[in-house]
Amino acid sequence: MTLALPSTRQEAWRWSDLSALPTLAEQAPRGGVIDAHDFWIGDGPRLLFIDGHYDAGLSRPGPVEIGRTGDASDHPLARLAGGDGWVLTLGHDHAPSGTIEIVHVATGGASHLPARITLAEDAQASIVETFVGDGWANRFTRIALARSARLMRTVRLLQSSGFQSIREEAAIAEGASLVTILLGAGAAGTRIDAALSLDGEGAFAEFGGALLARGDQRHDANIVLRHAAPGGSSRQIWRAVADDSATDSIAARVEVARGAQQTDAEQSLKGLLLARTATINTKPELEIFADDVKCAHGCAIGELDKQALFYMQSRGIPPHPARALLTRSFVAGALERIGEEAVRDAVLADAEAWLGEAA
Amino acid sequence: MILKIENLNAEVDGKPILKGLSLSINAGEVHAIMGPNGAGKSTLSYVLGGRPGYEVTGGSATFDGQDLLALDPHERAAAGLFLGFQYPVEIPGVSNVQFLREALNAQRKLRGEEPLSGGDFLRLARGQADALGLSMDMLKRPVNVGFSGGEKKRNEMVQMGIIDPKLAILDETDSGLDIDALRVVSEGINRIMRKPGKSVLLITHYQRLLDYVKPDFVHVLAAGRIVKSGGPELALELEREGYAQVAA
Ligand SMILES: Nc1ncnc2c1ncn2[C@@H]1O[C@H](COP(=O)(O)OP(=O)(O)O)[C@@H](O)[C@H]1O
Ligand SMILES: [Mg+2]
Repeated sequence: MTLALPSTRQEAWRWSDLSALPTLAEQAPRGGVIDAHDFWIGDGPRLLFIDGHYDAGLSRPGPVEIGRTGDASDHPLARLAGGDGWVLTLGHDHAPSGTIEIVHVATGGASHLPARITLAEDAQASIVETFVGDGWANRFTRIALARSARLMRTVRLLQSSGFQSIREEAAIAEGASLVTILLGAGAAGTRIDAALSLDGEGAFAEFGGALLARGDQRHDANIVLRHAAPGGSSRQIWRAVADDSATDSIAARVEVARGAQQTDAEQSLKGLLLARTATINTKPELEIFADDVKCAHGCAIGELDKQALFYMQSRGIPPHPARALLTRSFVAGALERIGEEAVRDAVLADAEAWLGEAA
Repeated sequence: MILKIENLNAEVDGKPILKGLSLSINAGEVHAIMGPNGAGKSTLSYVLGGRPGYEVTGGSATFDGQDLLALDPHERAAAGLFLGFQYPVEIPGVSNVQFLREALNAQRKLRGEEPLSGGDFLRLARGQADALGLSMDMLKRPVNVGFSGGEKKRNEMVQMGIIDPKLAILDETDSGLDIDALRVVSEGINRIMRKPGKSVLLITHYQRLLDYVKPDFVHVLAAGRIVKSGGPELALELEREGYAQVAA
C-alpha cells in the first residue's frame, strides 16, 4: 500500500508535520519483551496492544471484545485503520465496574487500529488509553452514545518518539455526555482529530486537554464540534505549553446548526510559551446559524508571570521548581476536568514528570 | 551584625534609584525606614531580595556574614531573609498550602535540614493562620487570589510565621489596613520577630504602625539615600513636620 498523506497546503493540515510517517510506515516493529506494568492505573478491565496486536495473555478485557468494527472513515489517517480492533458495546443501563484501561505499546514501525464504542440508553463507561514506546500509532475511534449515555475518555499520549495520530468521531444523542480529555506529553509528535456531533437535544460534549511540547516536538489538534440539536452544551478547554523550538497548534471549531437554539458552547484555548523560540498557534472558529446561542471563547498566549516567579523565589523556591509549579497550575486547568480521581492523579503525574524533566 | 549595607547604588531600567545608601542592623533590633513616595524604599527591598531588573551598580550588602548580593533570591530566603511585599502577588492555580510547603521545604533542603511532613506542616500553618485570623479554607485557596488588601497583608504575615526568618524586610505592610487589621498584623510582627537574634526592617509611610511595633532606630530615606537617622522620636518629628522639613 502506498501511503497517501495530506499536504500542509490543505488548511486542516497546515500546522502538521507528517514527514516522519513514510519512513515509519516502511519499518517493521522491533517487538520483544514489553513491560507495560507502570502504565496501569487501577484494577478494572485492561487490554494491552503491542504494535496494534492484542496481547490476550496480558489482558483481561472485561466487556471489551476484539473484532471487526465495521466502520470506515474518509479521514486521511483514520481510513488507514481498518481490520480488527477493539469493540465496546454496552446495553441499556449497563456500566462495567471500574475504568477500562487500554495500553498501546509501540516498538517502531507503524500500527493502525480501529475502535468502536457503542453505549445504549443510560449506559456508562470510563476508558483510559495510554500510548507509550516509539513508532507510529494510528488510531480511529468511532463512538455512538444513545440517550442519556455517558462516556468519559482519557487519552495519555506519552510515546518517547515516533508519532501518534488519534481520530475520534462521535454521535451524541439526547441528554448523552461525552468527555474526552487528552494529555500530550512524552516526546513524540501528535495529530489529534475529532469530529463530534451533538445530535440529540441537551447533549453534552467536551473535548480538550493539555499539550506539552519541547525540543522540536509538535502537537497538533484539529477539532470540529457540531451542535445539531437544541439545548446542547460543549466545552473545549485546552492548555498548550511549548518550550525550545517546539510547536503546539490547536484549531477548534464550533458549528451551531440552524435550529440548535439554546446552545451553550465554550472554548478556552490558552498557551504558555516557555521560550521565545517556541510557537503556539490557536485558531478558534465559530460558525453559527441559530440566533439564541451562548458561545464564549477565550484565547490567550503568554509567558510565565515574572512577578509570580520572583514572589515564589523570594519565599525560597528555586527557579526551576517555581517555573514547574506555575506551569503545572496552568495545565491543571484542563486536566482537572477528568472526573475520576485516580485517573486524574495519574494524568497530573504524567504532566508533572514532563515538567520535572525541564532544564 | 545581621545586615550591613554600604554605599549601595542601584538602578532600574538604567535609571539610578539608590545613590549611596548605607545602613547597619544588629541582631535583635527593629529599624524603620520612612520616606516620601518615590524615594526608593521599595527599590531597596527588591534589591536586597534580588529581584531581576534591579541592578546593583556599586556598594555592598552583607547578610549574616555572607555577601547577600552574590546569592540568588531563593538562597537569600534560605539564608533567613524574608520580604513582605507592598503588593503581594496573586498566583492562580497554586494553593497557599502547596506554595508554602514547597517554599519551606526548599529552604530546609538548601540548609541541609529534613523536609517537614504534610501533617507537621499543616499544624504549623494552622497555628499561624489562626493567630492572624485567616481560616484554613483561605489557605487552601490559590495564593492571594480573591483576597482583600488586608487579607493579603495578613497572608504575608502567615507566610512569615511559617518561614520564621532571621530578618524581615516589610514593605508598607501597614498600608491599606484598617485599625483592627493593623493591630492584628502588628501583633503578628511582634510575636514572630521580637525574639533574640531576629531583626526587622519596617518600611512605612506612616507613623501609626510604629505605635504598635516599636522601632529601636528610625531612618529617613530620600532621593535614594539615608539622609537622617535617629531614635523613635524621629518618626514623631517626621509626622509633625513633614519629610521636606526633616530631610532638608
Ligand atoms: N520597575 C520600575 N521601572 C522604572 N522605574 C521604577 C520601577 N520601580 C520603581 N521605579 C522608580 O524608582 C523610584 C523609586 O520607586 P520606589 O522604590 O517604588 O519608591 P517608594 O517605595 O519609596 O515609593 C521611583 O521614581 C519610581 O518611579
Ligand atoms: Mg514603595
